[in-house]
Amino acid sequence: MFDYPIFEMPFIGHRLLFAFDAILHVFISHGAAVGGSIILVLSQWLAIKNNDQKLDQLSYKILFTFFILATAVGALTGIGIWIHINIINPAAIGALLRVFFWKWFIEWIVFNAEMILLLWLFLIWKKHPLGTQGKKKVFNLVLSYAVASWLTMAIITAILGFMMTPGNWLKSYFPAEPDYVAALFNPSWIPSLGFRTFWSIAWAAAMAMLLTWFFTKKDLELRQQAMRLYGTVLLVCIPFFVLFGAWYYAQFPQAAKDLFWMGAITRRLAAHPEYATYLIVALSSMVLIGAVSLYTKPKHAPVFLAVMMLIGSMGLIGEFERVREFVRKPYIIYDYMYANGVRVADVPYLNKTGYLKHAAFVPPDFREVNEQNKLVAGKYLYQMQCRYCHTTNGINSVKARTAGLSEEAIYIRIGSLNSAATPFMPPFTGTDAERKALAAYLASLATHDKPALAYQKQLDEVKK
Amino acid sequence: MTDFRIIPGDIPLPLPTMGLEFMEPFFHGLLIVAWVVHILFINVLLGASLASVYFNSKGHKEKNPIFDRVAYLLTTPVTISENMGALWGVAPLLLVSILLTPLFYSSSIMISPHWLHIIYGNVVAFLLSYLYKYTWHTLEHRKTLHIFIGMVGVALFYTLPWAFMANVQLAMTPSTWTYTTHFWDALLRADTFFRLVHFYLATFAVTGVFMLVYGMYKRKSDNAEDREAGVVLTRTGKTWFIIPTVLNFFVGPLVLFSFPDYGIEAFFENGYFWGIILTVALALFALYLLLKDFFNDDLHAKRVWTVVAVMIIAILSMASLRHGMRMGLVKPVLDASHAKTELFQRESLAAFEEAKNAPATPIATQADVKPGQALAEKHGCLACHNADIKVVGPAYKEVAAKGYTADQIVELVKTPKPENWPGYMPMQPMPQVPAEDVKQIAEWINSLK
Repeated sequence: MFDYPIFEMPFIGHRLLFAFDAILHVFISHGAAVGGSIILVLSQWLAIKNNDQKLDQLSYKILFTFFILATAVGALTGIGIWIHINIINPAAIGALLRVFFWKWFIEWIVFNAEMILLLWLFLIWKKHPLGTQGKKKVFNLVLSYAVASWLTMAIITAILGFMMTPGNWLKSYFPAEPDYVAALFNPSWIPSLGFRTFWSIAWAAAMAMLLTWFFTKKDLELRQQAMRLYGTVLLVCIPFFVLFGAWYYAQFPQAAKDLFWMGAITRRLAAHPEYATYLIVALSSMVLIGAVSLYTKPKHAPVFLAVMMLIGSMGLIGEFERVREFVRKPYIIYDYMYANGVRVADVPYLNKTGYLKHAAFVPPDFREVNEQNKLVAGKYLYQMQCRYCHTTNGINSVKARTAGLSEEAIYIRIGSLNSAATPFMPPFTGTDAERKALAAYLASLATHDKPALAYQKQLDEVKK
Repeated sequence: MTDFRIIPGDIPLPLPTMGLEFMEPFFHGLLIVAWVVHILFINVLLGASLASVYFNSKGHKEKNPIFDRVAYLLTTPVTISENMGALWGVAPLLLVSILLTPLFYSSSIMISPHWLHIIYGNVVAFLLSYLYKYTWHTLEHRKTLHIFIGMVGVALFYTLPWAFMANVQLAMTPSTWTYTTHFWDALLRADTFFRLVHFYLATFAVTGVFMLVYGMYKRKSDNAEDREAGVVLTRTGKTWFIIPTVLNFFVGPLVLFSFPDYGIEAFFENGYFWGIILTVALALFALYLLLKDFFNDDLHAKRVWTVVAVMIIAILSMASLRHGMRMGLVKPVLDASHAKTELFQRESLAAFEEAKNAPATPIATQADVKPGQALAEKHGCLACHNADIKVVGPAYKEVAAKGYTADQIVELVKTPKPENWPGYMPMQPMPQVPAEDVKQIAEWINSLK
């Protein structure tokens, strides 16, 4: 986006950089915090009801693992999502913060409650063993912690829903007048919240089953009891998240539904949508086979099955997040802002006056394209419009995408980025001269040494 | 007037004030308070984690279990303050993101990827601090390893303020921005350096005050070892508060006068220097209170709480004057940014309306365009194919040269045969295009011979 400086992530690109942090956060926040706290409520309730010392001790061990993961990795990678998007797409997070400030603020207060409850719970647990009066206090803390965890997810899900299905949220474009209530109650909020809630519980149950295997090596009776408990939770959640998932999918815009299969695999395999089906079936079978065998034969099932179930679950969760991110393209906020931070309504103006003209962090010498500066100007355009999804020669590189094309062919291709062939790409924004400059830069990437020299020469000359 | 080379635009959406006049000052007040809470937790995190490793090795070297106990007791405030510190960093982040968007986002990007250190460096340091805490008894007989784990974690925690300080310092001095400013430029500047020194010294002073409170409680403990540990904490707390506070009287002015001139002028014109006088007076009073009782290990609760109260007022006063300095520094750029954004929006809207009202000139209405060509455009064929030259797929002239019939082309659009076109990117099947349309497109292609 033209209002900000440029940070380029070489080779892995911005998508992978962001995905690494975000997916780590999803695994841990959904599993160790949201789902984990609900699993904990259930375990504690049963332990207290049956005065079951062993189950109580097992749930402490699981809580300890979840505590480490949730505080050291879950919370920080959650803040990390902000920090990453701050530097990757500031225009998008800036807009989201203006619209969702108060929801985010409430989320922060709930997040405070969540963390304080977790720390408190963790520090007092051992002081109130099972059978004492204080155990009730521990249970109330666990329950409140679960409610707070779920509420943080409920609020964040509203923002994710907004990005895909913002509804009729902008009453006036200038001066901008957002409808905050409409933005919150966007069509996919509730179905996606139900979907996430149930798979969080199922995923946490899967994590608890793996942990149970390790913590009950010397007590197979306890293993059987705990596997049955968590296995039941996991299997019961499946129909619920499938149903909510279908309702959620129904809210997608048609264009997003059309991209579903391509998002489920990679573009390269787009000709074979059946591969996506195979992948999803394979991952689901890993989860089901693991869960059912651990449930039916907990004393004999090897740890391999628990690991396989966990890998299958992680695959499905990763697959879902990938599809959700992919099908929103070419937008980051549907119908309002393209994935590369350009607001849809600004396109005619930028096409008329030029994109570089408004770029605050591009030196003035490169804001108007001419023969002398066009390679460097083209590079700036690449960095401001393309590097959100592409790299120069790493993952999804523009070099590979333009291999073998002449400069003229690239120029033609740039003119129809957002078309039936690549509907997930935002259009190029800028004047014809800028489009030519971008084509010249991209064409220069094809050959190694000479263009680099030409580029450096231009840069040096203009700097003088 | 200072010349600002770079004026970034702002987000063209209103501040979420809900239409209330007092909301903007409230945001600023909240920013000051939340930031102070965040910094205090971070101070205790840094100070207590270092003190824990220090007493751990001292206990090991002198074979004194009291020091080991002090070190272990200090891990609880580390756990609490690392979690609460991160949490209370979120509120300032939220507020800065809406109040100073163009400045803070720009500086964050300029110092990237190093800015990400506050996430990944933090996660690793967090995990090391847990490892240090929860292996205390397991590694009782392997103290060197245990102390080493603690030291690595502490060292990592001490690098995190570099990213923060570089970012904040850069965000509040837009007059220093160039088109190529990056992390090390911002970190190695005099103003950032002095602020870091000031910050680290304040970290020890704040931890000193914390130790006075913590020590006071431990001195009342039922456990004899904890009572002795409480005395060690009280003694250390006094030294840790007194020495850094005195040093900061000298570092403070260096921080102030390393800011750009226009900021210092705005600072004095707006009367913020009274804040400095108040802060210094309060700190001197706290020093006096502690020096008077320097050799008294049984520091009275009333004395401890007076020092805490005096220092909280001193810190709030300092935080407010700093906020005044910050706003003085950024106001000219922020005003220019808002004006620029408004102008852009106004012109952009005009262009948008113009484009919307302009008579549509679809390619099909032009006399020389064949229906097949219009359909090819409509279905996105022209994204990859051009009549005369190779784009992604082959030129239609070359396709025409192969002499396919219309029916063959219909089939090929549904199931492309990449083997016919070696060296090209395989075409995506386009079954969604109706056969009738493909036939017309085929007619146009074959007319290109």
